[in-house]
Amino acid sequence: MNCELLRDHYDLYALDIAEEPERGEIRAHLQRDCEVCTAGVRRALETAALIGASAPAAEPSKKLRRRVLASVGVEQRPGWGALWIMAAACSILVLALVFVLRERSPYVQEALRSREALSILYAPSTIEASFGGAQPRPPQGKVFVNPSRGVLLIAANLPQTPGDKIYEMWLIPKGAKPVPAGLFQSQQDGNAMHVRPGTVDIASTAAVAVTVENQAGADQPTSTPLIVAPLPMTLAR
Amino acid sequence: MGTGMILPFLMSVFGGAGERALVERLKQRDPQALAELYDRYGKMAYSLVVRAVRDSAIAEDLVQETFLRVWNRVHSIDSEKGSLGPWLLAIARNRAIDYLRSVAGRERNTVELNESEHPSPYRGMESELLLSDQARRVKQAMEKLAPNYRTVMELAYFEGLSQSEMAAKMGQPLGTIKTWVRTALQSLRDDLDVAVSS
Repeated sequence: MNCELLRDHYDLYALDIAEEPERGEIRAHLQRDCEVCTAGVRRALETAALIGASAPAAEPSKKLRRRVLASVGVEQRPGWGALWIMAAACSILVLALVFVLRERSPYVQEALRSREALSILYAPSTIEASFGGAQPRPPQGKVFVNPSRGVLLIAANLPQTPGDKIYEMWLIPKGAKPVPAGLFQSQQDGNAMHVRPGTVDIASTAAVAVTVENQAGADQPTSTPLIVAPLPMTLAR
Repeated sequence: MGTGMILPFLMSVFGGAGERALVERLKQRDPQALAELYDRYGKMAYSLVVRAVRDSAIAEDLVQETFLRVWNRVHSIDSEKGSLGPWLLAIARNRAIDYLRSVAGRERNTVELNESEHPSPYRGMESELLLSDQARRVKQAMEKLAPNYRTVMELAYFEGLSQSEMAAKMGQPLGTIKTWVRTALQSLRDDLDVAVSS
């Protein structure tokens, strides 16, 4: 396989998600010091490293530094001077981060939404339900419901709503009226991800549904649901 | 100086000596060099790992293991051409993903693991890439991604899921996931290229 065919796979290789045969081909090109692939993979590894550096800043305990040094046989006690410099540096970095955060504020909500979505996706107590699998022209996807974190909807193939309409998600309790669970729009490509944070009584919830409503939303559904995802029965329920 | 320049400037001021000298000192088993390496990348590595494993105690164990691995393998990096930061983050990420996979009972390709931890692919990278303005730009670009694109990137990078695993996890056809991944990567790449050309 020549380098031209492999170039679209360098980023996937750097993320460890390239598939065969491209993964093996790239590996072979690297092993024979192919200049094109080496440069391409290096660039992809740079991007991967920068993605790693984009993780939300978290502060390790102060013990960790000592543990790291102790693991190679070094014991350190920082002097007051070093502590003062570190404290000053941290303060200035915090101020700088505040500026940076303020600068990118339009995207903070999106970032928080993604974080909420992942927290629901990976919580052990989350249950999930698929929809659309059997339909010839689906909206297709899954809902994830966590009793303490909320509901996450991931959908593809949603039709564009008219300009004055919007999608509304509903929690459908057993034997009771649907409860509004937030408004959302799909992207131009028909994909959508919607999070309704907060607690959910899974035992009393039969399904999650989506309807098309007026822009202001509705207290009760006014159209036939486009999506209905019945929640699975579990032992816990 | 605009706000966009503040963070890299501060990092360079407090970052200490250049990485080439740092690599040489690590090779000479200078413990103070390890302390400087930790001061430069410890928080970044911890942020990555704790984002992946979501447990501070486990994350600290894995970060400690990461630095020990760098210390033990630094002889194989070329101090004239190598870049410590991206290599260190790759090791940290591998530690985290190995942990996640072991907990979930998922296997990982050990050949690939060894490859991504070898420093040779990092030859020729900008020595302080992770402390540069590009890091801030990628962070912004990640935040600008539509939620589904951002999610697949995070699942791939921080959770170590394959595209097939993401498809199963997100209830989407594999082709859709591949499209999302490709679009997300292209979007990041476009933002980086715009930044570089400007």
